Amino acid sequence: MASVKLTKVKKIYDNKVVAVHDFDLDIHDKEFVVFVGPSGCGKSTTLRMIAGLEDISEGTVEIDGEVVNDLQPKDRGIAMVFQNYALYPHMSVYDNIAFSLRLQKVPEDVVYERVTNAAEILGITEYLMRKPRALSGGQRQRVAIGRAMVRDSKVFLMDEPLSNLDAKLRNQMRAEIILLRQKLDTTFIYVTHDQTEAMTLGDRIVIMKDGYIMQVGTPTEVFEMPENLFVAEFIGAPKMNIIKTSLVREGDKYFVTPFGAKIPVTGEKGKKLLEKDVKSKDILLGVRPEHMVLGGDGQAAIGCTLVVNEMMGSEFHLHVDTADGTRLIVRVPTLDLDAAGRSALTAGQKLNVTFEGKAMHFFDPETEKNLLV
Amino acid sequence: MNNKHHMGLRTLNRVSNTAIYILLIVISIIWLIPFIFIVLQSFRVESTYQVGYVIPHQWGWQNYINLWNSDFKRWYLNTFIIALAAAVLVTVIQLCMSYTLSRFRFKLRGPLMRFMLILGMFPGMLTMIILYRVLSDLGLTQANAVPGLILVSVASSGMGYYVSKGFFDTIPKSLDEAARVDGATRAQVLYKIILPLSKPIVIYTILTAFMGPWGDYVFARYVAMGTSAGYNVAVGMYSWLTNDQIARMYTTFCAGGVIVAVPVTILFLCLQKYYVEGVTGGAVKG
Amino acid sequence: MKQYSDLEYLRLSKGQKFTYKLGSFFAAIPRGIGHFFANIGKYIKNGVMGVGRELGDIGSTFVHGDWKTKTSFVVMGFGNLARGQILRGLLFLLFEAVFIIYMIFGGAHWLSMLPSLGKVGPSSEYNAILDTYTTVYNDNSFKILLYGVLTIFFIIAFIYTWRVNVKQNKIAEQILKSGKKLKADKDDLRSMVDENFHATLLALPMTGILVFTVLPIVFMILVAFTNYDGSHNGYSNNLFTWVGLNNFNTMLSWTGGTGGGQSYSATFGEILAWTLIWAFLATFTNYFLGMGVAMMINKKGIHLKKVWRTILVMTIAIPQFISLLYVSKMFARNGLINLSLMDLGWIKQPLPFWEDATWARVTVVLINIWIGIPHLMLITTGILMNIPADLYESARIDGANAWQQYRKITLPYMLFITGPYLLTSFTGNMNNFNVIYLLTGGAPTNPAASGAAGSVGYTDLLITWLFKITTGADSQYYLASVVGIMVFVVVAFISLVVYNVLPSIKNEEDYQ
Repeated sequence: MASVKLTKVKKIYDNKVVAVHDFDLDIHDKEFVVFVGPSGCGKSTTLRMIAGLEDISEGTVEIDGEVVNDLQPKDRGIAMVFQNYALYPHMSVYDNIAFSLRLQKVPEDVVYERVTNAAEILGITEYLMRKPRALSGGQRQRVAIGRAMVRDSKVFLMDEPLSNLDAKLRNQMRAEIILLRQKLDTTFIYVTHDQTEAMTLGDRIVIMKDGYIMQVGTPTEVFEMPENLFVAEFIGAPKMNIIKTSLVREGDKYFVTPFGAKIPVTGEKGKKLLEKDVKSKDILLGVRPEHMVLGGDGQAAIGCTLVVNEMMGSEFHLHVDTADGTRLIVRVPTLDLDAAGRSALTAGQKLNVTFEGKAMHFFDPETEKNLLV
Repeated sequence: MNNKHHMGLRTLNRVSNTAIYILLIVISIIWLIPFIFIVLQSFRVESTYQVGYVIPHQWGWQNYINLWNSDFKRWYLNTFIIALAAAVLVTVIQLCMSYTLSRFRFKLRGPLMRFMLILGMFPGMLTMIILYRVLSDLGLTQANAVPGLILVSVASSGMGYYVSKGFFDTIPKSLDEAARVDGATRAQVLYKIILPLSKPIVIYTILTAFMGPWGDYVFARYVAMGTSAGYNVAVGMYSWLTNDQIARMYTTFCAGGVIVAVPVTILFLCLQKYYVEGVTGGAVKG
Repeated sequence: MKQYSDLEYLRLSKGQKFTYKLGSFFAAIPRGIGHFFANIGKYIKNGVMGVGRELGDIGSTFVHGDWKTKTSFVVMGFGNLARGQILRGLLFLLFEAVFIIYMIFGGAHWLSMLPSLGKVGPSSEYNAILDTYTTVYNDNSFKILLYGVLTIFFIIAFIYTWRVNVKQNKIAEQILKSGKKLKADKDDLRSMVDENFHATLLALPMTGILVFTVLPIVFMILVAFTNYDGSHNGYSNNLFTWVGLNNFNTMLSWTGGTGGGQSYSATFGEILAWTLIWAFLATFTNYFLGMGVAMMINKKGIHLKKVWRTILVMTIAIPQFISLLYVSKMFARNGLINLSLMDLGWIKQPLPFWEDATWARVTVVLINIWIGIPHLMLITTGILMNIPADLYESARIDGANAWQQYRKITLPYMLFITGPYLLTSFTGNMNNFNVIYLLTGGAPTNPAASGAAGSVGYTDLLITWLFKITTGADSQYYLASVVGIMVFVVVAFISLVVYNVLPSIKNEEDYQ
């Protein structure tokens, strides 16, 4: 139960490589914050600096208002779950979970109570006497969580805890982490490279790249209003279509002109452009695949050729090429198409696509910043 | 191609396996024969010198009795004490050293390792001259060679940290980290997490440290400086094979060899599993 | 040399590739050496700048420090004591006290004698009580050199500790100024098992290495610049003294030298050449044959794997001096092999295993194979089993036969993993005293090089020669130490070259 505050935190390795640049972040009490980004973006390094496993080169980390830079990990009041579980191979599951309590010289009957309690919650009671090597990946993960759970820690750190699990188990464990969070009711910092995990788990998401924070915000914020091209492409799957085109202002109206088409900007986006008094200019236009639609008529239609059709069950992912060879992805719900429409979706098929005016994102081609932020 | 087909994969395999078996049997014979010879000759009583045959014409315990009546007991005891002390102290020192260099990233770590690497390029024998003088000033040579040899063999053993460091390097660091987050001090990490997982390398280190003194010749000879009471088995038995003694002592040497080799070999075979793990886990990575 | 781009390289023929690789290997050597010296230059520059920075920092600490800090410049640990860090303060103070006492009661004396290594040798004096002449021992060059070096070590340690003492005051002032608390004695003690646990662990091993390896090596390097030998033992006969580079001149000059008329440099050259040949043969015969045996034992379908392995492993357990001495005698002129061969009538004259230079050298290499294979078999077994099986499976699907699989998968993999091991094993073999000394003792004697510096034989390595020099009649320690330094130079040179070429050594963390 604690807030975590990072002020101008920097990590410089011996070889002068800067892994994290001036990281500023205020994590509130009981908040679930996810650090997400591609590998090498500094997310794990930041987490490890909070844990005390990595020296902090510059800046301060505060937990509950106390600067912890010089504290040992054990004195920071944290618990941590590691990517490869880091279970002690020579100890039984019970001893693994009890390890931290015994170090604190907690009486054995209290240890027993807490360990069995945690095991119950995680559904691993029957494995308590086993050694970690006799467990499956999912069970090991539970033990690792159990080990972190039994401590009364102020902050719960998780370093890619699900990345070693197969897809099905990952989904299941993700749901369990949400339940766990409700039970523990403490501050969570969670590191992942998977944007789906970040979106589903986080109260707030910190998106990182090359040691810099690209955006901090709630899942909705980062999805609906990505501050820059990187966030726009990183969040959402399949990733956002980016089209090099122009924004045209005609009086109080805005249009985009992708591939010779002309599509008006409508809704909030149009208003905001006007508020900011944006002039006509070259832009990078971002449209999510789910906002693209088949058809469109007249000026709004973009002529394409279907290249690949992926049937995902509930929806089709259509990979299409425009006349100039730009690859776009269109997500079409299966139910939107009748049998004839589906069977027509074969490679080489010509079709028109378009998108709605309210679902556009505009980025400056130079700075890659969102024009509306 | 066709021919091969006729022969069949299985037949081909059988031929090559037979060849390998023959080779392995030959190799085993070559490797074992000298030791079998030593044992046989240690029971030969008709001649104390080298002869042109292997099976003794007359069997007997005379050589072992000679052994018992010589200084061999003292040498054996000396070596045993040194080996025991080295096994304990060298293990402690090497494990301290290798664990530290494997796990801690302190400022002087790199320079320290480079420094020891360079230090290791000097022939260790060079230090013998001065160490002998220092030991002799301390009164730890000749008849008192045992404590002197222990001191010297233990003191610099930290330099041989490579093998066990290689082993420690294979234990995931996240275990240390997890334990430290769980509230363990660095010292607790060592004896609660790492040591229990390092049984093979601990036994390997003990075993090699224990076996070392049995074969230590050059420094032991230097420190004992001709005083029989300070010899270890290697120095003592070497003196039996010098030109003026060999004719009398050759078979006694064989008997001594058996007495030295048998316990060490039995110990070694019992702990072979750990030795193999130590060598394969650590030696190469060092 | 022409540099190829990756794509150009791929189009070269096999022969061209090999020549290119060989060329770039040798082209890399001067660059490696260049890097080495460039680094030395960099270190010196950084060192000088570092000293300047330190001095500046010391000055500003004094100027800006409070009275406690200023006092600490003279009375070490005073600042710690005055600020409540009793433990640290006392340790500093104790160290200073010990240092001062040592310098007064000995250190200064040894240091002042160091330039001359002693002036008055032993003399005969009339003893009135005993009514006879007795020898009076005066200066002792050996002790002067030893304690002189020790004193210099001590002074360096003192300067460093003093610097730490000053720095601690500065840090303490800063901490107090920012309103935080200093670490109490309790915290210091606790940190010994936690964040500073490495210091605790290293204290004992490093002290041992410092006293029993570093100090002797420094001492012996210095001996190379003196005339310390059996007749100048610096104590009971003559003192020894500094002679500059004389010994190196002797060793490297083409004239004068060992008893047989051959110069030292020629003797040295011969022994060095054989040492290198020996190390090469010993390393690679063992390596490839050991690997071969391991592969045979590990082959699918071979039964009794454990038995074969145990037979070989058992030979590791038997102390080398027994097996080597025994085998040495077995091959002797009147040893088991010669005697039984003559009994069988296969030969008339004993085979000159140890009497003929070439015979001896070949026999030594062969016996070393016998000694070395079990160990290599163990090492390579571990690595062979770690090679992912799917590599072989995919190679078989690609149509590779057994030999091609070995050439294209096993060998490159092994060489990559064992690169560092091969290097240490090579340098280890260069200094493989036991095998040579116990087998041949260096024999057969090389008449041209016999004489002053021990009797040199055809199988002598530099290391056994060194041993012979020190234990020989004249105990030319100064010469031994020159040889030792040469060994170091050779080993260092080889290591440096190999280090710059091997990919697997460079990045230690890759293995973790």
